[in-house]
Amino acid sequence: MTQALATNGTEPATVAEFAQTFRRIQAEVRKVVIGHELAIEQLLTAFFAGGHVLIEGVPGTGKTTLVKALGLALNLSFNRIQFTVDLMPADITGTRVILSDNEGRREFSFQPGPIFCHILLGDEINRATPKTQSALLEAMAEMQVTVAGVTYPLAPPYFVMATLNPIEMEGTYPLPEAQLDRFLFKVHLGYPGEDELVRIVGATTAAPPEPIVPVFSAADAAPALERLKRLVRDVIVAPQIERYAVRMVRATQPDKSRVIGDLHSPLHVASVTQYVSFGASPRGAQALILGAKVRALLDGRANIAFEDVDSIAAASLEHRVMLNYAAHSDNVEPSSIIADVIKAAQANR
Amino acid sequence: MAENRREEQKLWLILFQIKAIRMRLNLLVLQYWVFSSLAVLIAGGALFLWAASRLQPLSFLLVAVTAFSTAIVALTRIARTALHDRASYARAALIADDRGALKGRLATVQALATNPPASSLWQYLLEETYGLRSEFEPAQIEPRWLSRSLFSLLGVCAAIFVLLVILSRSPQATPGPLAQGGDMAVDLSDLDIRPADPSVKPNAHVEADSETMKQLSAKAADAARHQNRQGLSSLMDKARRLASNLQDQVTGNENKLIPPIHLRGVNKPATAPPADNAAGARSGSAPTNANNSSPINSNGAGTTGQSDAKPPAELGGSQADQMASNAPGMPAPSGPNQKPGDPSNMGTSQQGGAGNVAGANHSGGSDAEHLFGAPQEQTLGSDSFHMTVDALPSDEASSKGAPGYVPPKVQVPLNSHQAPDEPLARAEVPSDDRMTIKRVFER
Repeated sequence: MTQALATNGTEPATVAEFAQTFRRIQAEVRKVVIGHELAIEQLLTAFFAGGHVLIEGVPGTGKTTLVKALGLALNLSFNRIQFTVDLMPADITGTRVILSDNEGRREFSFQPGPIFCHILLGDEINRATPKTQSALLEAMAEMQVTVAGVTYPLAPPYFVMATLNPIEMEGTYPLPEAQLDRFLFKVHLGYPGEDELVRIVGATTAAPPEPIVPVFSAADAAPALERLKRLVRDVIVAPQIERYAVRMVRATQPDKSRVIGDLHSPLHVASVTQYVSFGASPRGAQALILGAKVRALLDGRANIAFEDVDSIAAASLEHRVMLNYAAHSDNVEPSSIIADVIKAAQANR
Repeated sequence: MAENRREEQKLWLILFQIKAIRMRLNLLVLQYWVFSSLAVLIAGGALFLWAASRLQPLSFLLVAVTAFSTAIVALTRIARTALHDRASYARAALIADDRGALKGRLATVQALATNPPASSLWQYLLEETYGLRSEFEPAQIEPRWLSRSLFSLLGVCAAIFVLLVILSRSPQATPGPLAQGGDMAVDLSDLDIRPADPSVKPNAHVEADSETMKQLSAKAADAARHQNRQGLSSLMDKARRLASNLQDQVTGNENKLIPPIHLRGVNKPATAPPADNAAGARSGSAPTNANNSSPINSNGAGTTGQSDAKPPAELGGSQADQMASNAPGMPAPSGPNQKPGDPSNMGTSQQGGAGNVAGANHSGGSDAEHLFGAPQEQTLGSDSFHMTVDALPSDEASSKGAPGYVPPKVQVPLNSHQAPDEPLARAEVPSDDRMTIKRVFER
């Protein structure tokens, strides 16, 4: 059994320590999740960047397994909410109930909902009504929950992973743009390849796989992870990299969506003009830089390179681009739009 | 304090190395600009000079304008590329990052050197970049000292050198017989006069008697009237003239005047008998032959031997070759057996046709191949041909009371294909044949 990392919460983490911890968590998750290397890396990147992840994949591709494995490896509190159409916001956030004490006095007391945890899995989030979906907004953006006028902070680290089932669209409620924008990355989980499927079949139909060993002890997990997340914020970004990320985000915005006086953009992508009704918001640029910072640390660098931005551009921007009817009729996917944007940005470095 | 100083030293060393890289990159850009511009200028200049010396005015104008436009575009593009490729410190750092696989370290250090961020990782970045300084040595980032554009310059120079060699070996054009000037007899009724090419400057004086000059002027005016150029044609003429002037200025060619041409007008009716030529003989002109297939007759035939006769024009060997191969009608040299002013020569010339004239001209020696010249590509009329004289009529020499025309004596040496005829040896007539010969003559 691997020894959990002993960390000192006051000293700043080092670049090497970050990379080492990241790789260890990755290895633990791989014990139960076969394949999906990129998805695991993106999930961890989003976690260390302090964002949330929307996982899209057909049933049976290991979405829930992946999230569970991550919770176990990080040794953080983990809750799962199965979203249904009759799920109410109070079922997520918690509610005030009347409790009587030993003396018979009755008073309202707040009963926290499943949202109060470190890692929250919202399974099939698009099955709940927009009202219920929106119950997550405050928690995701501000790490707090307000119930009956009282605000309850959430304990860091806080990480929401929501899954989407793209094929059963009947009786579902597409996530509102504001909700989508709050997810740092959108991770796609496709069908496994043949070799991976053979390994999955072998591993799940035989003896139970090797159990996941938490990388941190329960007491150390939260502070240690927060320390590493602070290191991510310390990664140095050159002005030209910031500008590069900003240009990339602006390139996703069609000219007609700009305000007057801000019509000039150095990058013009024809497919954006043709198929995009609304591009990425400033949160898209934040996602690019934060994700790139994690990638730089993983590579043992204290600075971001252009390649880091490119590598997480698709996951950061795809779900922030709203396509128009022309795109739907022409079967254009956001991924192809973002690929065009990345190409244009690379050509104008 | 000491740690801060060390950190500054490392930063300074990193920046110094970036500066060295920038210098090297900019040196190459400068070379590119100089060499490429020189290559374009030299190539364009060479093309311009070649076109000026070898092409017709209009073609020259076209090539010159094209070459000039292309050169301007190329020079602009070269300058723009050089400006674009010029490396600032940031650009030099980016290039070094790219070529040294440093993943943005140098660009980040360079960009934030003046205002370091308050990050715990800044020192780490400096240390790491300093440790990688062998990866961004200027010689490693840009090993070249000389730009590849030098090869383009050398290539252009080599191409021009080869062209010069080829051009210097190509045969020079020989001047035509008109360039020699001299006397000419022209049948004015058959003479076709067209306005000269506007690009050709007047370069010959034609002298003739007043009557001939009048007829020539009338013909020239008539031809000019028929070829009245307007609109685009007149613009084209202007362009030709402009191009010709430019060509002359570029090549330094002066408008050399050829020796004056003394023209004798010979008006011949279409079916004039040979006896009509007596008028020409009375006026001191050389008689035309009976067929009149050649309006320009031999200058050597029919001279009157006057005291102011001009000395015979000497023709070189190549000129003689050319004339020997010319069609009937070109000035034919007199043979060595012909004496100037000999009436018998005149008779010989009058009696013969074109072939006879040629025979008389080549009496000094001929061979079968060159007796009648090479076959002409141009088909001639049965009784006349057209000759274009690129000259303007002038009255200068045709004042009243001018001396009569005296054709110059032309003595042409044998060309390389000719050999003097051997005189037939008088032989003894056999006594048996004497009676037969006598009978033939008596018959």
